[in-house]
Amino acid sequence: MRRASVLVGVITVLALGMVLGCSPAAKTGMLEFRANGEDFVRQGFVSKDGWTIAFDHVYVTLTEVTAYQTSPPYDPLSGGNIESKGKISLSGTHTVDLAEGGGDADPILVGEVGNAPVGQYNAISWKMVKAKDGPSTGYSLLVDGTAAKDGQKVDFEIKVESEYGYACGEYVGDERKGILKAGETSDLEMTFHFDHIFGDADTPPDDELNVGAVGFEPFAGAASGGRLVSDMIGLESALSESDFQALVDILPTLGHVGEGHCHCDSH
Amino acid sequence: MHRKLILLVALVIALSLPMVASAHGVKIDYKMDLAIEIRASYDTGSPMAGAQVVVYVPGDPSTPWLTGVCDEEGRFSFEPDASRPGTWDVQVRLAGHGAMIHIPIGDQLAATGTTGFSTLQIVLMGACVVWGFVGTALFFLRRRS
Repeated sequence: MRRASVLVGVITVLALGMVLGCSPAAKTGMLEFRANGEDFVRQGFVSKDGWTIAFDHVYVTLTEVTAYQTSPPYDPLSGGNIESKGKISLSGTHTVDLAEGGGDADPILVGEVGNAPVGQYNAISWKMVKAKDGPSTGYSLLVDGTAAKDGQKVDFEIKVESEYGYACGEYVGDERKGILKAGETSDLEMTFHFDHIFGDADTPPDDELNVGAVGFEPFAGAASGGRLVSDMIGLESALSESDFQALVDILPTLGHVGEGHCHCDSH
Repeated sequence: MHRKLILLVALVIALSLPMVASAHGVKIDYKMDLAIEIRASYDTGSPMAGAQVVVYVPGDPSTPWLTGVCDEEGRFSFEPDASRPGTWDVQVRLAGHGAMIHIPIGDQLAATGTTGFSTLQIVLMGACVVWGFVGTALFFLRRRS
């Protein structure tokens, strides 16, 4: 009887081992998170009021960057939390320079997750927070560049202390992103539209983009000796009440996913 | 019995003979075609005339199924494949503005189906295999005793 029990036990263990060995392995791939200031930052542009702007550095500090697989898809216009059937987060806080690499650079790699489950990541969230170290310490956004118009030149450094949280739907662009297959690499992008701040001379003046933009003229008016270095507290004094309020209102709209929209909470 | 069988066969043959169609009869067929019309506009209400449209079928988010352009009113119409129920994704873009809309068509469960065996199925199959080995072993042990 004892021999029979031992024999049954051994056979059971062997059979379980065979079954477990046949179980499908988890399917994963590499998910990259990238930040993109677009050609506006990499190559510069002309503001709605005719200033030619070039950027030396555009530092953004990002944290709690998370990608989601949602069904039904998340609607950023409705706001609210992102309800997902799976999510992957990038650890840590990252300060990146959107102007890095020159005019033809790829979107900046913020970080990557090597064992992300496969699927379609069709939503993303992140926070822009004050940097604790590095060139933009104390600010969530630091824009460093030059602007020129009619022989005038202004060197500027605009610093933003406010913090923002973005919850975004699916990336909208030339191709879809976030479709991750086993053993492959896919990416998601956090896009920053700086034409929202300064406007764009290539867009009609009555376009919603230009109507809401501050332009660069107010900043030029606040410069002294061809130079403007200021944070939001300084700009509140230097700009007119309406221009400063326009800046406060437009900063949360920086975050996009390609041309796709995000819901923003500011702090 | 033989007579009843002949009558039964005759009845079956009679019922199988095609009837002569009436020249004045009317036959009506119908089919339902689902057509989707989208209308894209800016936040101001202005239509996105000439916007580029890309339609994706459920289960294949990478490959455009249909492309087109919105008319002057920002409208675009298409007939989805009725054999592919699920969430159809439609992307609209124009001059730096864009959005994507997700349209549920047909059976919602098909849009989120998965291939392969579920965890429960794997566990049950595994249990059957294990019991098969155990049962066989017990059988031979009983015969021996």
